[in-house]
Amino acid sequence: MIYDFIKALRASNIQISAAETIEAIETLNHVGLFNRQLLKDSLSLVLAKTRDDKETYSNCFDLFFTMATNETTEMAAQDTLDVVPVAESKKSHSDEFQNEGSSSLLELLEQSDQTALAENIAIAAQQVQLSNIKIFTQRGIYARRILEQMGVNELERKIHDLARVGEEDAYNYLKLRKAQTLESVLELVDKNLLLYTANSGANLRQEILEKTPLARVEIRDFKTIHELVKKLSKRLISIHSRRRRKAKRGALDVRQTIRKNMQFDGILFNTVWKKVRIDRPKVIAVCDVSGSVAQTARFLLMFLYSVHEIIPKVRSFAFSNQLGEITSLFEKMPIEIALNEAINQWGMGSTDYGGALHELERLVGDEIDSKTTVLILGDGRSNYGDPGHLALKRMHLKSKSVMWLNPEPRTFWNTGDSEMNKFNASCDRIESCRSIRHLERIVSDIARRTV
Amino acid sequence: MKESSNADKAITALKKSLQEHDYIASQNISTAVYLAQKLSKPILVEGPPGVGKTELAKATALLLNKPMIRLQCYEGLDESKALYEWKYGKQLLYTQVLKEKLSELMSDSESLKRSVEKLNEFDDTFFSTDFLEPRPLLKALWAEKGAVLLIDEIDKSDLEFEAFLLEILQDYQISIPEIGTVKSSVPPVVFLTSNNTREIGDALKRRCLHLYIPFPDSKLEREIVRSRIPNIEETLEKQIVSFVQEIREMDLKKVPAVSETLDWAKALILLNVHSLESNIVRSTLNVLLKFQDDIEHIESEIPTLIRSAAR
Repeated sequence: MIYDFIKALRASNIQISAAETIEAIETLNHVGLFNRQLLKDSLSLVLAKTRDDKETYSNCFDLFFTMATNETTEMAAQDTLDVVPVAESKKSHSDEFQNEGSSSLLELLEQSDQTALAENIAIAAQQVQLSNIKIFTQRGIYARRILEQMGVNELERKIHDLARVGEEDAYNYLKLRKAQTLESVLELVDKNLLLYTANSGANLRQEILEKTPLARVEIRDFKTIHELVKKLSKRLISIHSRRRRKAKRGALDVRQTIRKNMQFDGILFNTVWKKVRIDRPKVIAVCDVSGSVAQTARFLLMFLYSVHEIIPKVRSFAFSNQLGEITSLFEKMPIEIALNEAINQWGMGSTDYGGALHELERLVGDEIDSKTTVLILGDGRSNYGDPGHLALKRMHLKSKSVMWLNPEPRTFWNTGDSEMNKFNASCDRIESCRSIRHLERIVSDIARRTV
Repeated sequence: MKESSNADKAITALKKSLQEHDYIASQNISTAVYLAQKLSKPILVEGPPGVGKTELAKATALLLNKPMIRLQCYEGLDESKALYEWKYGKQLLYTQVLKEKLSELMSDSESLKRSVEKLNEFDDTFFSTDFLEPRPLLKALWAEKGAVLLIDEIDKSDLEFEAFLLEILQDYQISIPEIGTVKSSVPPVVFLTSNNTREIGDALKRRCLHLYIPFPDSKLEREIVRSRIPNIEETLEKQIVSFVQEIREMDLKKVPAVSETLDWAKALILLNVHSLESNIVRSTLNVLLKFQDDIEHIESEIPTLIRSAAR
């Protein structure tokens, strides 16, 4: 049973290793199965190892163990047809049925022993490996398999016989009981479905969305995309948040060297060099929010917003025919409001790359130094006006690197009014950035390289 | 079934004895301590600052009557500070003594080969435990009756240090190149604490039980206040706790933790306060809140908060 529980946990996105499974079993040996709260607490210590996981774990635990233990009592309470009192204990029953196998459904129904019936359903479910259920269309198949495992064929024969002989009462009774059994089996299958496949549908959808070009994503998926971007930035933060140290050859750390070499009688044997702590990168980001990229503007901004969360020293600008800073907007507001605000304020004009780049140079030209990365998000379509590549070139000379992310696929570049060739000369990297996948790769790269 | 009722009883007993050592534990916390002992696994304790992560280790040490050894982590912490170091001074002296003795001993041997043979007859004392200066981790392994090892704020340390801890946490042993592997006779009870400034590596997490201590609910917090400050009046204690609980719901830079509740309660007792009043609260708010922004934010709400706390 514990394997099934772990399977359920894995299905709801908690990662559990084989070693942790072994630990869980050891824990069970220590605490036993009979105190629910104790069991929950103890397994949570072993299995769920982040705060988010703990919450998911708690829900999953409740669902799983309600199913496994309370079902019998629930059913007994519901049932009004139950006329034969059952004195036998649950335990002995389960052993018995395991031995007898599946031939007892008929007897069970005749006895109307609800506890034993539920027990039998659970065993049959295990035998047909109900926990392997993947999608909801399998409901019927699994329900039928469980019933067959329990010997429904025999029951059906009997019902058929009764109908032929004409024993109305017995016939009706058995038929009713069969329908009830089917219902409780279906209920069990549904619960399992919920437990083991809670996330697989969502996971599939997310996987597809990750690969979909941003321009094609529909409005209703915005929320999922936003979650994806958030997940992405979280992952990147944990990878890159550490400040890195780099050995700088040339400057001797005298104090450390003497200390290190005490073991060699004070002879300076191993040298220690001074280390320079390198702060996280300084980034200036410019985002095109004009009509030509209206489809993708939101995503580019969303991306920029997540960059803000990862890299602390970011200044962001948005432009269409005019350029303005949106750094404070991003820092103060939640993402939905910030995005709308940015687009309303600066967006939907026709693009003027020349004006924008010159304005950018005027605003931050002095700030750009050898540690700065300039990041430009746009399609590079200047409506046949001045592309402003000379301004970009000047900034390029001063900065550490210039990156251009273009939401169009490469084959569309340099067609019509696209000026990517001219920009290309003053960029260190140009990438086509069209889906979440691309975003992830690029952001991770920036964070790694600029350090 | 017998096992489970035993475990139940043991945990309740543990909770009680922790309480005797001034630590009010929730069911979850005492289960963690119980399991850690049973499975001999380290506990990784996470939670916001000031909920008593370090205190838990201290109380456990008192409870088990074992010495507590604390290792505070910080950036740049390395094994020479955490594990062991050679006593260089002593080693130097030893070589000096050796030099004098050596010429005496060697005077009768004619050839170089003979001298080397003779030298080999001595034990290799130079790198022996006599010259080893144990740092916290080694101390904890060496402790004869076992110990409680607290590795505080593991998230502040470097990634390399985390990797280096793995051997200790898994097998309670460490390798010293010159001596060999040191294994503890009685495995220490290990607590690791983290404030979640960064994500702890999966390898480390896998080796630990993971305990998350949230802010206590008002019932638990009242118990904590009563046990830590026995002479507090009941009305005041009740008001303080519900006031703090209310504040925690608000949008603040840093919400007050249990330790701050205690500090505040102590301050109010020193000021001879019997029940919360807005001017007193206003002037002592800086004990509770550590950011000027937060204080300003709360100040206008004080009367409402007090009113709901008094209820």
